[in-house]
Amino acid sequence: MENQPKDFADRDALLAHVRALSPSLSPKDVQVSDTVGGRQAGEKRLAKIDPIAYGHSRNYLGGAVSYLSPYIRHGILSLNEVRNLALKAVPQGEAIKPIEKFIQELAWRDFWQRVYQQNPDWIWHDVEDYKTGFTPDDYSDTLPDDIQTAQTDCAAINYFITTLQTTGYLHNHARMYLAAYIVHWRRVKWQAGARFFLAHLLDGDPASNNLSFQWVASTFSNKPYFFNLENLQKFAHPQAPCEEADNQALAGSYDQLAARLFPYGVSL
Amino acid sequence: MSDLIWLHEEALRASHPLFSASSAPTQSVFIWDDAYMEAMGYGLKRRVFLYETLLELPVDIYAGDTIETLKALAETSHTSRLLAATTPNPRLNDIMGALPLEVTRVAEDAFVEMPNPEGLRRFFKYWNKAKKLAFQPNGTR
Repeated sequence: MENQPKDFADRDALLAHVRALSPSLSPKDVQVSDTVGGRQAGEKRLAKIDPIAYGHSRNYLGGAVSYLSPYIRHGILSLNEVRNLALKAVPQGEAIKPIEKFIQELAWRDFWQRVYQQNPDWIWHDVEDYKTGFTPDDYSDTLPDDIQTAQTDCAAINYFITTLQTTGYLHNHARMYLAAYIVHWRRVKWQAGARFFLAHLLDGDPASNNLSFQWVASTFSNKPYFFNLENLQKFAHPQAPCEEADNQALAGSYDQLAARLFPYGVSL
Repeated sequence: MSDLIWLHEEALRASHPLFSASSAPTQSVFIWDDAYMEAMGYGLKRRVFLYETLLELPVDIYAGDTIETLKALAETSHTSRLLAATTPNPRLNDIMGALPLEVTRVAEDAFVEMPNPEGLRRFFKYWNKAKKLAFQPNGTR
């Protein structure tokens, strides 16, 4: 058995080696992320976290998010060490409220892993019925071509797809928007969307990714998650193109959209 | 006798408790298993990220089927015990279960030191139990 090399002249050489070791990869899969793997890169990001700013800006695409997720996903950084560092953002003895959201987001990762441990079969199967008025058979098994190629009729959605495919990362709110669009606007099974995300996200985790998709779909929550253009404009501007003329399918009040997306009513 | 540390994709750091769990001489290995990565749905981006991560780690990288490669490595080094990180991933657990070796699972540092509540379903049920510990260093009282 041959011990694989660890010294490469440059990233292109490493890339060629990874491809040689990966015959199952499609020849069309050529995109590499600017995000570099390894503990050193993870520690650099860890040194830059701002848990307090995260707390009040995290829902905005331009918010102070940590970008630690790929490193946490693969155990390069532990949740424990990230939490321990975040605790230092508030002086000892002072209220922890300013860092509560940051710590809670770490807890979501712990929660998903624990659910996965208890119920590994939930990862690819509906945990509950859809509450959308539709049955699983009403949803397509495959992702439409225009989604795979970022050619939908919504500019913001195309921006999210392109970002996912080129960087291997999407802001959490953008993930929710894109997941909701796939499942509710296009009536595609959440499993197809989850596979698409896992193929591109550096941090894609069967539990966090798939159970979040089920939360959006309503098969692991009390109601479907959806959004409207006004919400998108509030949180995704100016990073994503949010003009109404370029995103007409997303426009409307929540009642109008619910009537359009769930014509048989949402079952609660 | 020596031990074999199998570093899988969910425990990729040198400070993982896995590396201090054995007092015997050890060889640490990562198995680059194309079929496993395909089954997990990993594209080129993820694979490059993983390989870059391995460059900094004290592990030997072998390419091949994980079970067959681990069996062959254990045979060559006369190893009867394998250490691997605890994981909820059934594919990785199936691999551990299929090996003709004693397998010791080593847990990650806990985020909160508490048992898994029964019937976990909604986050806030978990959070109500976890939050006191979540704001403590090392997640302990």
